[in-house]
Amino acid sequence: MAEWSHSVGELVDQLGRLPGIGRKTAERLAYHLLRVPQAEALALSESIRRVRENVRYCETCFNLSEGPRCSICADPRRDATRLCVVEQPRDLMSLEQAGAYRGLYHVLLGRIAPLDGIGPDQLTIDHLVDRVRSGSFREIIMATNPTVEGDGTSLYISNLLSEYALEVTRLARGITAGSVLEYANREILADALNGRQKF
Amino acid sequence: MASEKTDALVLRTIEFSETSLVVVLLTRQFGKSSALAKGARRAKGPFEGALDLLSICRVVIIPKSGDTLDLLTEAKLQRRFRAGERNLGRLYAGYYVAELLREMTDRGDPHPDLYDLALETLEELDGETDVRACLLRFELQTLRLLGHAPTIDRCAACGSEVPEGGRFGFGVTSGGVLCAACRPATRQVVLLRGATRETLRSLLSEAAVSGPPPPVPAELHGELRGVINRYITNLLGGPPRMQSYLAAASPTIDGQGRRR
Repeated sequence: MAEWSHSVGELVDQLGRLPGIGRKTAERLAYHLLRVPQAEALALSESIRRVRENVRYCETCFNLSEGPRCSICADPRRDATRLCVVEQPRDLMSLEQAGAYRGLYHVLLGRIAPLDGIGPDQLTIDHLVDRVRSGSFREIIMATNPTVEGDGTSLYISNLLSEYALEVTRLARGITAGSVLEYANREILADALNGRQKF
Repeated sequence: MASEKTDALVLRTIEFSETSLVVVLLTRQFGKSSALAKGARRAKGPFEGALDLLSICRVVIIPKSGDTLDLLTEAKLQRRFRAGERNLGRLYAGYYVAELLREMTDRGDPHPDLYDLALETLEELDGETDVRACLLRFELQTLRLLGHAPTIDRCAACGSEVPEGGRFGFGVTSGGVLCAACRPATRQVVLLRGATRETLRSLLSEAAVSGPPPPVPAELHGELRGVINRYITNLLGGPPRMQSYLAAASPTIDGQGRRR
């Protein structure tokens, strides 16, 4: 049976390690890189190199950043009295793309998952408490994922922050706008009823 | 292979790809199952966010033979475990229930009575029932239903009667109480009070499998917790991960592990 040359085989192996990329897709991508102009293929490798060398975690909020502080922490127009706590940088990006929030963020880099051996010490919770202690926040918005472990992480943090004079809130949950009550399951309806708001 | 419909409790979820999960389930009819749920991480689809830790679902599963993962094609949420929204001690107790079920049950070995006990325990943890009594009942009934219950009435080493009253020896590796003759020659023996033996007996009784958990006197809780921790550690070949978190379920220790 014919085989790829050594270097192509190595590229297929490397591409196949990426999330969501199986062997077939890796082979297709490798073949694509061999067909495009050399400059285009090398631009990809250069981008990967630059990202790995330049991108790090923001010293303040642990978002991805190319300098010591990310663009959000460095922006003086952001509301410095509100802090939104998320699990991962990609959650921060989703909230930013919603365009409804102008405060600051803190990225935990995970969630407390004792069954997987992940405890509070492996997250950036200590830094969060230091920020709250030395900052002028009036509200902390817990925006961890609405899962058992996400809720547990939020509860742990809100217990830690209970000694500070600030409001700890969490994202609303319940019925999706544009859907109908008839098809919502009872847990969603219970969430919506428990979190109802005044007109 | 034909698909099967059953009730299931989610014991663990592992991210498998951008959109899929591997889930470990305890099903009522088929025992433990590790299954691939394709597209489960998408908001829309046949799972609708039902596959969260400790959720109770109605699932459709295609069993596979050998070591291959079963295939989960549908999950409808029946009840979510909500203790994590208000009390860390109750949340960690729920995690511990999931861990014990995962470690102590096997694929294709159904225990409907254990499944029902697990659901009742989670409902109690989600409510106001005393967490410590609830967990002790769950642990001892799980041991009984799976055939690992410690011997309480007779010596675990020689089978002779062990008189009631006074302190007695409990052999962690022998699997129960020890008579005065066997105790000196046995390793890993814990000395317990007579009242502890009575409480162990009531927690292990068949009648205690449902309904409110039998009361556990506060002064005996530490002794019971210690001996059951050691017994389960010996059975599993190591301590469960959540064992160290159970302190959060104690009324004298807060959710962050600080003494109140």
